[in-house]
Amino acid sequence: MNYLIKRFQRLLIVLGVVTLITFLLVNVLPGDVAYEIAGMDSSEEEVQEIREELGLNRPVLIRYVEWVTGIFTGDWGTSYISDEDVWEAITDRFPVSFELMILAQILALLLAIPAGMISAFRPNGRGDRIIGTIAFASVSMPSFMTAILLIYFFSLHLGWLPATGYEPLSEGLWQNLRPMILPALSLALVEWTILMRTLRVEMIAVLQENYIALARAKGMSNLRILLVHALRPSSFSMITLLGLQVARLLGGTIIIEQIFGIPGVGRLLIHAVYTRDFIVIQGCVTFFALAFVTANFLVDIAYAWLDPRVRTRGAHG
Amino acid sequence: MGEIILDVRNQRTAFATGRGMLQAVDGVSFTLERGKTLGVVGESGSGKSVLSRSIMRLLPGTSMTGPGSQILLNGKDLTAMTENQLRRMRGPEMAIVFQDPMTALNPTLSIGKQIMEVLMFHLKMSKRDARAKAVDLLKAVGLPQPDVRVDQYPHQLSGGMRQRVAIAIAIACEPDLLIADEPTTALDVTVQAEILDLLQRMVRERNMAMILITHDMGVVAGRCDDVAVMYAGKIVEKAPVRSLFSETRMPYTAALLSSIPRVTDPPHRKLDAIEGRPPDLINPPPGCPFAPRCRHAEDACNRAVPELTGTADHQWACIKPLNTEAAA
Ligand SMILES: Nc1ncnc2c1ncn2[C@@H]1O[C@H](COP(=O)(O)OP(=O)(O)O)[C@@H](O)[C@H]1O
Ligand code: SF4
Ligand SMILES: [Mg+2]
Repeated sequence: MNYLIKRFQRLLIVLGVVTLITFLLVNVLPGDVAYEIAGMDSSEEEVQEIREELGLNRPVLIRYVEWVTGIFTGDWGTSYISDEDVWEAITDRFPVSFELMILAQILALLLAIPAGMISAFRPNGRGDRIIGTIAFASVSMPSFMTAILLIYFFSLHLGWLPATGYEPLSEGLWQNLRPMILPALSLALVEWTILMRTLRVEMIAVLQENYIALARAKGMSNLRILLVHALRPSSFSMITLLGLQVARLLGGTIIIEQIFGIPGVGRLLIHAVYTRDFIVIQGCVTFFALAFVTANFLVDIAYAWLDPRVRTRGAHG
Repeated sequence: MGEIILDVRNQRTAFATGRGMLQAVDGVSFTLERGKTLGVVGESGSGKSVLSRSIMRLLPGTSMTGPGSQILLNGKDLTAMTENQLRRMRGPEMAIVFQDPMTALNPTLSIGKQIMEVLMFHLKMSKRDARAKAVDLLKAVGLPQPDVRVDQYPHQLSGGMRQRVAIAIAIACEPDLLIADEPTTALDVTVQAEILDLLQRMVRERNMAMILITHDMGVVAGRCDDVAVMYAGKIVEKAPVRSLFSETRMPYTAALLSSIPRVTDPPHRKLDAIEGRPPDLINPPPGCPFAPRCRHAEDACNRAVPELTGTADHQWACIKPLNTEAAA
């Protein structure tokens, strides 16, 4: 219980800091939403009028406090440009971004777990060195570069997968997944390397443990030892990282959604930045921060599943 | 003579280290019959654990086994086996109990699972049968409430309890050979005797052969048939336990015997009482490895490594054995 309260306090602090900083940053950007609404060839008076109307000429801090109060009452505001409710705009698009991020994490794990296990099984062996080299190449390339290469190869050259587009799940699972594969892979090809290295280091240590020697003495196969005996106790740091990576992934999806034309929160945010639609920017940032904290909360739950010591301690109090 | 379970012939195990080859086990030979217990005694670093892992063939990649070394378990040469063949031997024919029960069990698996997997792999038991058998085994090793404990995790058990679980795992597939590598060193004095009694009972009930490794001469006294004393990777004296105590030949054995803790001693007194340190195993001295610490040493001792001599029953590696005419 105490623990939950602590978590909640941290959530509030994170949200407070993040939203205040973006609020201030958006305000130092040249130009504001009033220009956008007024149009290209409107006079300074017209723009000023719109500012007046929207209350934009009041001090930043007052507007910030108003906005925060709104959040607590469930009112995330309305877009200055499209008149859309911010909360709805985000929650309409978030499932798409969420799917992309989950797919990226799954792909990253699918790459990282076997690669990390092979590397840790014989450190500095041939497998380890090959994987290390691939990982180095993979992480050296920014995700947008990877995306372009993947599009070139799989869409233009081989024609296996679409380069852009999005299909809702209602069109069928495969229809939905097909255009998501390359974007998710673009993100995963950066993320997997860090997960792999973390798993490798921890697993090398775990494989020295006495209980691994005992598993060998019981006649268990190497595969079983790696999967059943070593993987769980080796994955704590990797799981933590999985939560922390959500922040980077959110950043990554913004770019990737642009490249692949995926209608997610990233696109909403980019559009909002271009039009200085700061109420939408604020909403997106807040939502991202919430998603980040939630992801790390889930990581703590995963800990309990991985480590019976945490689990039983929890049960006692 | 009984059925020979284990026949170790000239076992030599070395490790490649940064300074050169470290000869951890240096020409060890012995046989062990069904139903018998061999005590292996020696100071820390004398090669007891490396010997036990050499027998189980659980050595790290940096190790090398001598070309003339052979280990026959039930007549089958372990040194000639593939990893897959060895896997089938570990569990049903040989098993080991490690020193530290706090680290020998997997913290993320329930103890039931850790017992069941041996039964399911080696004896091809179904999950249900394996679970029932696991409960039986836990009961056999004296774990209270075995049907509750079976679903618990190692951290929920005391050290002594965990060692009981480790013993249950070791005997699960009824091995012919059980190696116990200092099974009580990490335990509370109060439970040490209980665990040793349990091992002894298991060996007797199941008619296994056991190698009981310890650094404590006091442990072997009532519990072994034969005792092999190890020093610097070699067996330096081997005898039936009674002769070893009454007709000690090797000054090193004598030193170990005189350092057995007495009831009057403070608790946790260790064998370290022998003055000096064991020799460097990478650059061993040319003569008797014990010479620098031996009170009976003379010039001849430094010339060549003494061979193991004596009778079939009682052997020693000393050119000036105690309690004989030669010792004067
Ligand atoms: N993996 C290893 N690599 C290098 N040296 C080792 C290794 N394992 C054991 N040794 C060395 O072998 C010698 C015997 O060790 P060990 O068998 O563990 O002694 P003990 O009799 O205390 O069980 C020691 O000098 C130890 O340092
Ligand atoms: S050979 Fe010499 S040095 Fe070695 S134990 Fe015997 S008397 Fe001592
Ligand atoms: Mg040892």
